Amino acid sequence: MGIKAIYQEHYRLILGSASVLGLILVWELMLTFLIPLNPFFFTKPSLIAVAFKEQVIYGALWGDLAVSSKAFLWGFSFAVLLGIPLGAFMGWRRRAGYTLDPFFTALYASPLVALAPLIIVVFGVGLLAKSVLVFALSVFPFIFNTFAGVRSTDPLLINVVRSFGGGEKDLYFKVIFPTTLPYIIAGARIALGRGLVGIIVGEFYAASEGIGFAISRFGDTYRLPEMFAGIFVLMIAAVVLTEGMRKLEAVLAPWRTTEESR
Amino acid sequence: MNRLANFYSEKEAHILGAGFILLLIVLWELIPHLLTVSKGMSLFFTTPLRVIEAGYQLIVENKIQEHFYASAIEFLLGLGLAIIVGLPLGLIMGRSRLLDAMIDPFVTVFNATPRLIFLPLFILWFGIGMWSKIMIVFVGAVFPLLINTYEGVKNVDRVLVNVVRSFGANEWQTMKIVVLPNSVPYIVAGLRLAIGRAVLGVVVGEFFGASKGLGFMIATAATNYKVDVVFVGVAIFMGLSLILTMAVKKIESNLARWRPEEAKTF
Amino acid sequence: MGWVSKNWTLMSSSFIQARNVTLSFKPKSREPVTALNNFTIEVTKGEFVSIVGPSGCGKSTFLNVVLGLIKPDTGEIRLNGTPIKGPGQERAMVFQEFGLLPWRTVAANVELGLELKGVPAAERVNRATALIRLVGLAGFERHYPHELSGGMKQRVGLARALATEPEVLLMDEPFAALDAQTRDLMQAELLQIWERTQKTVLFVTHSIEEAAYLSDRVIVMTARPGRTKSILKVNLPRPRDYEMRLCAQFNDIKADIWNTLKDELSARSLDGH
Repeated sequence: MGIKAIYQEHYRLILGSASVLGLILVWELMLTFLIPLNPFFFTKPSLIAVAFKEQVIYGALWGDLAVSSKAFLWGFSFAVLLGIPLGAFMGWRRRAGYTLDPFFTALYASPLVALAPLIIVVFGVGLLAKSVLVFALSVFPFIFNTFAGVRSTDPLLINVVRSFGGGEKDLYFKVIFPTTLPYIIAGARIALGRGLVGIIVGEFYAASEGIGFAISRFGDTYRLPEMFAGIFVLMIAAVVLTEGMRKLEAVLAPWRTTEESR
Repeated sequence: MNRLANFYSEKEAHILGAGFILLLIVLWELIPHLLTVSKGMSLFFTTPLRVIEAGYQLIVENKIQEHFYASAIEFLLGLGLAIIVGLPLGLIMGRSRLLDAMIDPFVTVFNATPRLIFLPLFILWFGIGMWSKIMIVFVGAVFPLLINTYEGVKNVDRVLVNVVRSFGANEWQTMKIVVLPNSVPYIVAGLRLAIGRAVLGVVVGEFFGASKGLGFMIATAATNYKVDVVFVGVAIFMGLSLILTMAVKKIESNLARWRPEEAKTF
Repeated sequence: MGWVSKNWTLMSSSFIQARNVTLSFKPKSREPVTALNNFTIEVTKGEFVSIVGPSGCGKSTFLNVVLGLIKPDTGEIRLNGTPIKGPGQERAMVFQEFGLLPWRTVAANVELGLELKGVPAAERVNRATALIRLVGLAGFERHYPHELSGGMKQRVGLARALATEPEVLLMDEPFAALDAQTRDLMQAELLQIWERTQKTVLFVTHSIEEAAYLSDRVIVMTARPGRTKSILKVNLPRPRDYEMRLCAQFNDIKADIWNTLKDELSARSLDGH
């Protein structure tokens, strides 16, 4: 009964891997034997693997990834540094919240990417424009999640700390900050996704380096295997970052039973 | 005087919020009058009134309508497809552990990746016409719908399912009577997210490889330094986004009235 | 014959003194609500006093006034002669919804008051461990609140309140959120702890049975705005045990409290707070 038991334990992993492998296999077989391989339209896993090896291990894709990461980190860091205090301020001071909330909500709900061409025109092509775009897209989840976190502070807990003679500083550190932290981490996860959109759009549109640029360049030159390789590199990076954030969320907030909001 | 004070204290949040936005718009309008904008900067600059004027011109000269319709069609078709695919798939995945396990890795990976990365590929496959945009909209919007439907199905109360089953309901009836109604708030929340992604898809899709659409209009206007036209496009997208999101939020809050906890959104 | 209901006289040896405490709330754009109106009571040191009254009569509000989180509009509130001006080490509260910090372990929660007083870590741990044992939660020091049952959570609340060694224990319907059996258990344990620690207890409750079982005296409040309607002395011997609840004397006491209280429970006072 060994195999059955193993299956029961890890059935998600087993089935998941099986279906992924199955897809790759079917893809490869179909394009080798069934569908004529028009190189301008299709490609298959074996070719992608070769391109992947070439680009990633020998090629320039690492450099591109580094360029993209730099721009991303700049924009994202500023989003953290500005968004969190702003959100906290809005949550703590009721009137600040009233004043700023509608404005930021309007901005958050609108596709700020629409301003991308303008940003590129104003800031030129390069690191600054990309960082600005990343910042503009990723700052709002931080603002709103911190805002929500501060506002969700249980007044009962405030009373408890006050009843033991706690002062303003105690309230911040012992109640408000721990309450807000899970919200901030969840906001970071959302901001991550939005920031990635920013870097991609920035690089598609007007850049000379970066992973988004590389992918679109491969597309322009009909080098499909390389293009897929680039896409996979980005997918891997995105999954690693996102799952990493989830693990961080689980570690830093074990007391919260959050519903999955992917 | 007292009535005014009461009115203010009741509507304080709205007054402050709206007031702030109005203040910003007014300040924006006044900037060129207050500061001298250098020749270089003035290329990039515009004011609200000029934007409104440009918008009016575009409507009157019938230049904007074809872009608007193009974008609208891409949006609606893409979103429609996302609903048709995402909802049933989410339902099935929620009810079948087997399918869930098999499809989940794909959902996780594709959801974490910014779907816009597929734009060059779609342009390669579908060309510069409508379909590459529709596909990008579809691929962006399908995931929030799928995932939220899935969550809605998975979160159904076991007790209720057992109740219905105890009256002899089969799978299909259980779905209809318990699972679907329970999932509706989740689905609507997913719709709200999907609308945002769909708009994103339209905008970015039309930036690259397009010959019409509001995104295309924005992009060409930017390169020609017609900043007021850019803002007309941005304003239209903003406005539509806001209206659609608020409409869905209204529906959401009406549906969520009976729920003790809210479906996780954001 | 188990009880005596009399008018009481102000004794200068009273420990907690409230005189003509009046308090109103002014919610936004609605009529101001008077929670307490010339509320006056006396509590002697070491007494166990319960306060019962209809919903919204201001009993929890009064507890918060004694705690020092709310200041009355008029009137005096004194502890051992000194006016109460804010929270202080001599008074601690046990809350109905427990109020445990969810991100802290049981031990860290119990240590909260000591931490805020600047007690060094080693001593905090010692005192907390002793109290955790006192309330019967030995072994659960490293658990988180969400892993505990309601009864256990409230024991943590009690341990936390006792940690700073207050002289007065304020309890705001502490067992209302618990199931009936746990409630009975907690009542018995509370009495044991009270006998051992000799605190003065002000206990707010909706349950006449609970008030009669636990207290030396029961204060019945009027409907809002709250005043003292009547004070009943509970002359049951101590230590009290469960069997006492089944005797005729106990029922008489309950009946008296109920008779005093029921006029206040008109439809008018039942709608909204």
